[in-house]
Amino acid sequence: MTKLVQNEMLKLIAKKRLIVIGIIIGVLVILFTYAQYKETETQRKKLGTSDWRTILQQQIVDTTNRLSSSRISDEWKKQLQISLQQKQYYLDHDINPAEPGAPTFIRIFLENSIDLFIPLMVMVIASDLVSSEHSMGTVKLLLTRPVKRWKILLSKYITLCLAVSLIIAIAGILSYLISGTVFGYKGWGAPILTGFNITDEGLSTSDVRLLSLWEFLLMDLGLVWFVAIVVGTLSFMLSVLIRSTAAGMGVMLAALISGAILSNMVSSWESAKYFFMVNLRLTDYMKGSAPPIEGMNLSFSMMVLLVWWAAALIVSFVVFTKRDVY
Amino acid sequence: MVRLVTIIAALFFLLWLAGLGWAVSEYYAGKQDQVPKASEQKIEKAENKKGLTVVALGDSLTRGTGDETGKGYVGVLVDELKEKTKQPVQLTNLGINGQRSDQLRNQVGQTEVQRQIHKADVIVVTIGGNDLFRGGQGIIEFKNEDLTGIQTKYLENIKAIFEQIRNHNQNANVFFIGLYNPFIELGEGKEMSKVVRQWNYQSAEVSAAFPKIVFVPTFDLFELKVNDYLYSDKFHPNTKGYRLIAERVASLITW
Amino acid sequence: MKKNITLSVKDLKKKIGRKEIIKGLSFDLREGEVFGFLGPNGAGKTTTIRMLVGLIKPTSGTIHIGGYNIEAQFSEAMKNLGCIVENPELYPFLSGYNNLLHFARMLEGIGEERIHEVTKLAGLTERIHDKVKTYSLGMRQRLGIAQALLGNPKVLILDEPTNGLDPAGIREMREFIRFLAEKEGLSVLVSSHLLSEIQQLCDRVAIISKGRIITTDTVENLLSNRERVQWVMNPSEKGKQVLRELTKVEEREDGTVLTEFDEQGTPLWNKRLVEAGVSVLEMNRKMPVLEDLFLELTGGETID
Repeated sequence: MTKLVQNEMLKLIAKKRLIVIGIIIGVLVILFTYAQYKETETQRKKLGTSDWRTILQQQIVDTTNRLSSSRISDEWKKQLQISLQQKQYYLDHDINPAEPGAPTFIRIFLENSIDLFIPLMVMVIASDLVSSEHSMGTVKLLLTRPVKRWKILLSKYITLCLAVSLIIAIAGILSYLISGTVFGYKGWGAPILTGFNITDEGLSTSDVRLLSLWEFLLMDLGLVWFVAIVVGTLSFMLSVLIRSTAAGMGVMLAALISGAILSNMVSSWESAKYFFMVNLRLTDYMKGSAPPIEGMNLSFSMMVLLVWWAAALIVSFVVFTKRDVY
Repeated sequence: MVRLVTIIAALFFLLWLAGLGWAVSEYYAGKQDQVPKASEQKIEKAENKKGLTVVALGDSLTRGTGDETGKGYVGVLVDELKEKTKQPVQLTNLGINGQRSDQLRNQVGQTEVQRQIHKADVIVVTIGGNDLFRGGQGIIEFKNEDLTGIQTKYLENIKAIFEQIRNHNQNANVFFIGLYNPFIELGEGKEMSKVVRQWNYQSAEVSAAFPKIVFVPTFDLFELKVNDYLYSDKFHPNTKGYRLIAERVASLITW
Repeated sequence: MKKNITLSVKDLKKKIGRKEIIKGLSFDLREGEVFGFLGPNGAGKTTTIRMLVGLIKPTSGTIHIGGYNIEAQFSEAMKNLGCIVENPELYPFLSGYNNLLHFARMLEGIGEERIHEVTKLAGLTERIHDKVKTYSLGMRQRLGIAQALLGNPKVLILDEPTNGLDPAGIREMREFIRFLAEKEGLSVLVSSHLLSEIQQLCDRVAIISKGRIITTDTVENLLSNRERVQWVMNPSEKGKQVLRELTKVEEREDGTVLTEFDEQGTPLWNKRLVEAGVSVLEMNRKMPVLEDLFLELTGGETID
């Protein structure tokens, strides 16, 4: 099995996909860093201060004023209220929710890329892992060797998991290195809160715990990784089912984007919570923002994702081992 | 090369798996194992200040509701101060739409708000409009009897607010903006004006009891041509109205 | 001298949907022989070969390679098999060496030594570290064979091995295949739709049409008595008349005449013609074409 995995890694590296992904992530991180920098700049100019407490206080007041507007929807109102309570809690406990520095940038970057950008990068690898063998015709050689089909597919799947781990690592390391040049490399030990519970009444702070940012980041990365693995497995399945890489990518892309759209408008369509794509924002549970559909929590989302993951894996293996290759 | 990448990838695989496991256990375990301590440290001096710091407290007038330019009297005031003093002016606008005096009293109780007050060189306050007019409904339910009750509460509240402010900042000049009567030209405008004048008088008395708290009347500004200075909701001032208030306050600020 | 059977196929059938594509094939391959699999496009050659190499599951019937059942003992059976199905598709983004390394890793106990051996055998030593995408078609074909030989297989299956090669390449390939069978003792199964190729390459041949084997025989047996002679004569009418008296004559639209080939008869007929004052302008020995063979073997069934 190690030899088979080595084979797959050899092909993966020879295709230079990881380098391409590294470049894409690098460019995006540069963009985000600049955007973030600009935002703090304008904020500083507008408020005439870089004191985070003043800024946070101002945000609280602004949000409060937004809440008083009658034109916002109930759903949005609730989300605003939760974020308001959370900000107030941070302020009351004298903790900066966005301690300036590269680690905070990583956190924000991860939170914003967990449901679309990172899955997209994973897709680049996962969606042609099997279908490219079909389109190149090499599958005929691969499957006529004295190795059982399930072993071949498993070696490919292991390679996918390894590649996903690398992509997450690349994202983390690149965003640290690049954003650090602007925001500084310190801030690993900054305090951050987790354990906010969203209840019917709003935000419950009874279970709130204090973490160091590096602990929080490791957890975030773990969650992002989990999401990436699930999305990767799904596109892996499509790669097995659909021989055309482009078609597989198209299907997956449509699903991901629809997820991003659905999250914003499914609050009243309760059964939509069983779609994998509305459950991707796991880091939000750590941060404590309102879920897209009431009643969703970390264990629910992880269960949903696990079921999709298992189903995709089973389908992939059954189809791959049984199917005739023409 | 391939082997190296594979090994690195495998290590990251384990690391992220550990992170995931930790995240899940952290999410469920550790109920109340360590509640973060609320910060005890009292308002530190911090920040070598440059220029003037203005803190605005109060209701929609502080927010600037009704001003198309979005500035409100506070914005205009800050602009004028910048011009006059040739210094940077830092504004912290803590006004909340629809805020009543009891809510403001709560707000100034918050640690961070107190810290802001502490840093301020100038504090401007508008409050009372929502107590008295209850968002414009006052005209309909206008009855003298319950007004006295509301007035007593109101005066208590502003006294408490002023105490808080003075507690945290002995030096800043505080400008308390008085009430005007937006309904002066309506049917019960005369009686209403009487009440407003009464409130203004009482709150001016409260202000006077504190050092450096200046009551700034606005009643007269809106007395004659009220509709020229009101926004289309006939309650909040419009751009011109805010400008009048700002100019009056600006003329009082010395530097 | 009966040699060992290396590949054995019994009553192989494949249905796709309701349509039966392969209708019961049986044949054996022996050590050291080149077996031809001859049929027009669409006869079921490729489907059969894909079943032999395990890409397609047969609906019924058994395949044994080196004595192992391909379904029950897939890995053992595959150890004895090397194959190229259709074009030799290798990873274009890897070097020839890495391609071989890749497939060597899928076999037990095949190391660098064997990779060098097959590289040399295929004559690729100089270019082996170049990327496959820079290879010519002939080189790819050779690399494909090198890959197929990696595991010291007993059976080599080549689907249309000369497809797309230039005449020199075809000749080279033919010699190489003969060499493998004669010197290395491999059983080679070659599929083709060209009779001439099969004729020059194979010891035995199975002719397949519409999912059935029409006949299996040695090439000599199959082709004997089926050669023709084409006559171009002047005056041709008279020539035809003379020939008609001597043997069966087939007239062609272009005015030429076909007769059967008979080693003793033909020179004699020529002599008669000359005696009758007919000048023989051309006398060509013609190989039977697949179409004719088919017509004969199937009794009028067209290839379509």
